[in-house]
Amino acid sequence: MSNLTSRQPWAQSSATFKLQLAIVSTIPSVIGLLFVILGNLDFSIGLIGVFLPIQVLTVAAFGWRKAKRRGLSDALLIFFTIFFSTLVLVLLLSVLGSVIFEGFKALSPHFLYENNRYVGTTTSLEYGGVGHAILGTLLIVLLTTIAAVPLGIAMAVYLTQSQSKMRGVVRTVTQSLAGLPSVVAGLFVLAIMQFTHIERSGFTGALALFPLMLPTVARVAEESLRLVPSDLRMAALALGAPNYKAFFQVILPAAKSGIITALLLGLARVVGETAPLILTINMNNTTNLNPFNGPIASLPTYVYSFLGSNYSSSQQRAWGAALVLLIVVGILFGSARILSRKKSLKTKPVKKAKK
Amino acid sequence: MMNATGTASTLSAENISVWFGERQVLQDVNLVFPANQVTALIGPSGCGKSTFLRTLNRMHELIPSAGLAGRVLLDGEDIYDPSMDAVDVRIKIGMVFQKPNPFPTMSIKENILSGLKLSGRKITDADELVETSLRRASIWNEVKDRLGDQALSLSGGQQQRLCIARSLAMNPEVLLMDEPCSALDPGSTRRIEETIQELSASMTIVIVTHNMQQAQRVSDQTAFFLADENTPGGVVEFGSTENVFNQPIDPRTNDYVNGHFG
Amino acid sequence: MANEQKTGSPEVSKRKLSSGPLSKGDKWFFRVTSISANFAFVLVALIVVFLFANAWPTLSSQGFSFLTGSNWNPDAKHPVMQLGPMLWGSLLIGFTGVLLAAPMAISAAYLIVYLLPKPAARVATTIIDLLAALPSVVIGLWGIAVFTPVAVNWAKISNQLLGWIPIFHVKDPNAAFTDSPFIAGWIVAVMIVPIITSVTREIFSQMDDGLINGALALGGSRFSVFRRVIMPTSSSGIIGGILLGLGRALGETVAILYVLQLSFKINFFSLLESRGGAVASWILARFGEASNSEFHGLMAAGLVIFLVTLAVNMLASFIVNRAQPWRKN
Repeated sequence: MSNLTSRQPWAQSSATFKLQLAIVSTIPSVIGLLFVILGNLDFSIGLIGVFLPIQVLTVAAFGWRKAKRRGLSDALLIFFTIFFSTLVLVLLLSVLGSVIFEGFKALSPHFLYENNRYVGTTTSLEYGGVGHAILGTLLIVLLTTIAAVPLGIAMAVYLTQSQSKMRGVVRTVTQSLAGLPSVVAGLFVLAIMQFTHIERSGFTGALALFPLMLPTVARVAEESLRLVPSDLRMAALALGAPNYKAFFQVILPAAKSGIITALLLGLARVVGETAPLILTINMNNTTNLNPFNGPIASLPTYVYSFLGSNYSSSQQRAWGAALVLLIVVGILFGSARILSRKKSLKTKPVKKAKK
Repeated sequence: MMNATGTASTLSAENISVWFGERQVLQDVNLVFPANQVTALIGPSGCGKSTFLRTLNRMHELIPSAGLAGRVLLDGEDIYDPSMDAVDVRIKIGMVFQKPNPFPTMSIKENILSGLKLSGRKITDADELVETSLRRASIWNEVKDRLGDQALSLSGGQQQRLCIARSLAMNPEVLLMDEPCSALDPGSTRRIEETIQELSASMTIVIVTHNMQQAQRVSDQTAFFLADENTPGGVVEFGSTENVFNQPIDPRTNDYVNGHFG
Repeated sequence: MANEQKTGSPEVSKRKLSSGPLSKGDKWFFRVTSISANFAFVLVALIVVFLFANAWPTLSSQGFSFLTGSNWNPDAKHPVMQLGPMLWGSLLIGFTGVLLAAPMAISAAYLIVYLLPKPAARVATTIIDLLAALPSVVIGLWGIAVFTPVAVNWAKISNQLLGWIPIFHVKDPNAAFTDSPFIAGWIVAVMIVPIITSVTREIFSQMDDGLINGALALGGSRFSVFRRVIMPTSSSGIIGGILLGLGRALGETVAILYVLQLSFKINFFSLLESRGGAVASWILARFGEASNSEFHGLMAAGLVIFLVTLAVNMLASFIVNRAQPWRKN
């Protein structure tokens, strides 16, 4: 330990510097807190009116002492970077924290598997649950996946393997599709239903999610295919492989985890979509396992419908379902992360060997 | 039936000119690579020698804006003839790249067999083919006990010899090598040079190299490529390695091989 | 000096470099993938055609005032449907959201790329991406139950301190400060921070290290490097990222519906007043009880918001792609 620090002279800062830094970074928040607690000041006012000005001044003074104008601007840059980033973190933790905290109050084993057959807005939480909504969401999303994933991957293949001049246009259009407002996707399917006289069912819901999932899958899959070194493709072609064999036997296996990531992120994108489903399915309080016929429940519409009611048990149900939805998203997102982490570990030895 | 040693062929390039889009990078290259000879292509960076190499097995056409004029004859047959399948050409004319690029998701053994699988050919005696190919690339002794290991577990030099073995498994008549040693240490370089010497008994070899000593050590004949500013590259001098290095005709060749520029 | 030219003819005819006869497998491979890729166009075209067909009755009867007027009375004898306040509200909230989100996003990206050590940066990236994965219904739930009370406080403070500035002015002295474009702007900001951050982060991390080291070696301070080296080279990409965020903000539906009072009394820029508009939310709010004539009006509203977001997104991806040349090909 001491060895390391002695070898890194730049890492040693004088004790007075460290002390100053500690003072600068704690005193303003302490003063702010004192004002809030002793002065019975509102927290937001304490934050904006007391803490922020004092903190900016101390940081500025600290920077000025260290290196005059240069130090001042550097100190302010770092302060504001940290301040705004903390704001992002606080907002996120607030969302996660409140959903977990409130959601847990509603959560119980039966909440996960029971349906809402006899549940009204005031029914106590001892009865009913989101079982039917979990199944409904799974069915709808499964249908969307069956169509969107192969098509998205095929688009990614076109964008990476072909030599067509249209690639740039296709990419731009796909990227703009990624910004398609979800309510428009719902309206679109609604217009189709009007035209073809298809009845509302899980299937129409899946249809509305499709244009939202497709661009995500295509983009992530394209990125992961692009990470496969073009050398490998060249080597396969030089060995006399036709393009499709080079793709299926060499490129796809090398990009496998990236492709699965594309699937997972695509799922995470649509599993919580609410507006398109509100427009295209009929909600259901009981379990319906046939996505092609009749009303069907889903987690997002469940949250939406119970949130509309002011009764506390309904609110609790909404929080509980939101927590379940968050857990589903978390699992999808987490597995995508782990997969892409593994991939980056795997490619390390290659780099070493190339050196 | 796969023979351990195939028959070498004569490859000749006639009036080869190459474009990328509107920019011409090679003009009128005429070279003959006789069977069982090793030809070195030397020249400064950007003179088009790697591009030229890629025209010899139709890898050049994978670049969208590529253009070409002239003919490449393999034993008298034009490989760019519309009736020729690029896949067949690449099976007969193998290629080893600058950076070792074994297929990362395959084992050592699978890498050797990958060419046959990828080009859709039958594998009759896999084990024997793997052993012969690895022996010919002089890497058999190092990997014979770990054929099931991932190809990436090998060192850089071993990976490159694995890539050579992978090409040899296809039993090519011509082997193209694009600076095969530029990413390797001196020990690995020496072993690959020895391999090249042994292989020339059974095939025609064309090697692009930046290393003058290497060209002198491995090749029978040498072509010197040069591109002046804003003009397409071309061959300045072509002859036996002995002559090109010791009695060059063109003063520019003299300057280059003696290290005055490039 | 000229090259050695044995034939000397400068005009050589280029050969056609087709890949020769493609194998059957390859033919199918390229056919299938290119049909799939072209499906993107088909999808966009289908959306436009279907929406337009359903929107036409309204568009033809309302004319240009559909966009500019401010009255929504679909079931009158002569139905009037004018989207003005909603359209303006979408823009107001979108721009508020972008103004709030951009500093947070750029700061987060700067922190991740230039200040944090590698492992911490990875954690921070994961956190930001997680934020992007949060469903909007969850954000809406949080927005109404947790964030609104806090934001009302902020609104009161800014009104007391800055009430003399028009945007922070409220007419009613006893205003509730709830359901305002200000709160909707914050909610939208929370949702678009991740998009702007990830674009900015990527552009920052692709910055040439040599350029930054060079500036540092010349005695540049952190701030001067940020202002003179990092920002000029990455600003266009960041603007693209911000536009992507704007596109997302304009289309946000559910979360805004919870935290905004939709009103056809147009609110030009009084951020703290409890009324505003958002096209997408309006569609969802009215949809359940829409009559046939209103149905067409909502379709027309959908078409409008689709075309607006499409234009913003196209511009954004054009800028982002140009700022990230390494993504080409």
